[in-house]
Amino acid sequence: MMKRLLVWAFIFLAFLLSSFPLFWMLFLSFKTQGQFGLQNYSDLMASGPFARYVLNSLVVALFVVLGNVTLAAMTGYAFARKSFRGREVLFATVLGTLMIPKQATMIPVFILMTKLHLLDTYAALILPFLVDGFSILLIRQYLLSLPPDLEEAARLDGASELRVFWQVVMPLAKPALAVVAINAFIVNWNSFIYPLILTSRQAMRTLPVGLALYAQGEHSLDWGHLMSGSALSALPILLVFLLFSRQIISGLTQGAVKG
Amino acid sequence: MRARQTLFFLSPWLLTLAAFYLFPVVYSLVLSLLNFNPLNPSATTWAGLANYSRAFQDPLLCKAAVNTLYFVVGTVPVTTVLALVLAILLNRSLPGQTFFRAGFFIPTLVSMVVISLVFKQLYAQDGILNQALSLLGIPGRAWLLDERTAFPGIMLMDIWSAIGYYMLLFLAGLQAIPRELYEAASIDGSSKLSQIFQITLPHLRPVALVVIVVNTIRSFQVFIEVFVMTRGGPLNSTLTVVYDLYERAFYRFEMGYASAIAYLLFAVIFLVSLIQARFLRLGQPVGG
Repeated sequence: MMKRLLVWAFIFLAFLLSSFPLFWMLFLSFKTQGQFGLQNYSDLMASGPFARYVLNSLVVALFVVLGNVTLAAMTGYAFARKSFRGREVLFATVLGTLMIPKQATMIPVFILMTKLHLLDTYAALILPFLVDGFSILLIRQYLLSLPPDLEEAARLDGASELRVFWQVVMPLAKPALAVVAINAFIVNWNSFIYPLILTSRQAMRTLPVGLALYAQGEHSLDWGHLMSGSALSALPILLVFLLFSRQIISGLTQGAVKG
Repeated sequence: MRARQTLFFLSPWLLTLAAFYLFPVVYSLVLSLLNFNPLNPSATTWAGLANYSRAFQDPLLCKAAVNTLYFVVGTVPVTTVLALVLAILLNRSLPGQTFFRAGFFIPTLVSMVVISLVFKQLYAQDGILNQALSLLGIPGRAWLLDERTAFPGIMLMDIWSAIGYYMLLFLAGLQAIPRELYEAASIDGSSKLSQIFQITLPHLRPVALVVIVVNTIRSFQVFIEVFVMTRGGPLNSTLTVVYDLYERAFYRFEMGYASAIAYLLFAVIFLVSLIQARFLRLGQPVGG
């Protein structure tokens, strides 16, 4: 009994340490010279194009999520259900793309986007992330765990391949698609180095990049503003976690444990 | 006909693969052999392996490499052990278990920019850490402006922010261990502690490998923390390889040299991952 209590006390202490910084962020974001309220948030919105940053991040995340849910699903479906020449090699390539670090590709991608006159556009922020290897992996894994009976029945009924994919496979894969969507949202919402190098106009910055650069400017020591900006960036993630913690955890553990 | 259908399903991915993976990997290898400035492309010259040999003699890059290595060695083992301890403690039923797991896990989902800003506040001269220390009568300091404390401060933050994710992976691994093994060991009279060493840890080896390799790869690329908190200062004490690479590529536009650095880093990460996999004997039967 005594030992259990000790364990509990240890975990509770660790929990306090673990959650304090984010609670502190929220506390400071609401505090303005001894008063509590939304003053910092409204000041922040007035002092910089933060509304625009939020909008940019939302637009980019929306398209990246849609891209992964449809296009990565198409790829994952092909790998799970179609047999074709070079499948093994291509699938190894999917795994390979997961291992290439961002800084090994970012300079050529920057030059490519410059040549295509796509710097400071949504296209530059969306296209590189439209079909993520990890999403392909999750969908393929999930479809392999299901028998192809329904798809074959639909084919016997004369459904076209596109129809089989759209009306049979997609509804069937919903649990995996949810994991893909949530994972793509979190990764993209927090994405930093690519949006940093692919934008230079303030109006095209995403929230993390805008926030980091704002923190380096003349506002660098206004903690109330900085913490309310940080809270704005963290809140959607916290909300998604509260709603979908099961899918998030399943995505993370599948990715790493089953690989 | 069937091949055309398959190609249709694969084509969006094949296009992004070509544009954002295959082309960049090849092109950055070419760039690494050139002197290339995007502001003045007509002045491009062949450099051969000069960018690579320059990297080994560059005192700033060497400083960055040593710092990065220090970061990896200083954070990865601590994070792994703490995540493992927390996972083992949280694997039994405790009041508030779900709540605790969420509390440890949430920081790993929040963007590193946000975490860096919050810790910049904590570590500031007028920050909460100094206020707490002054209650104990300990004089405070601007932790991130002092070359002795800036990098350890960033490392501590990294450990704080990473534990929850790896704890979760260890928890998933723990739940896959058959209960009967523990029951049999209890009947044989072995203590809880010796069960951890004889059953838990051997079974967790594959997960531990993933945790260590993933965290090592991530830590070699440490960038956002440095960008937001210190920009490599004070006195280059927090300069890391990726931050150095970023400044060279996008401030000084030495893109050939920066590409060579990127390739070298990639090679180091790859080698270290291989060594870790060998060391932890990936693929061997569990419990051997």
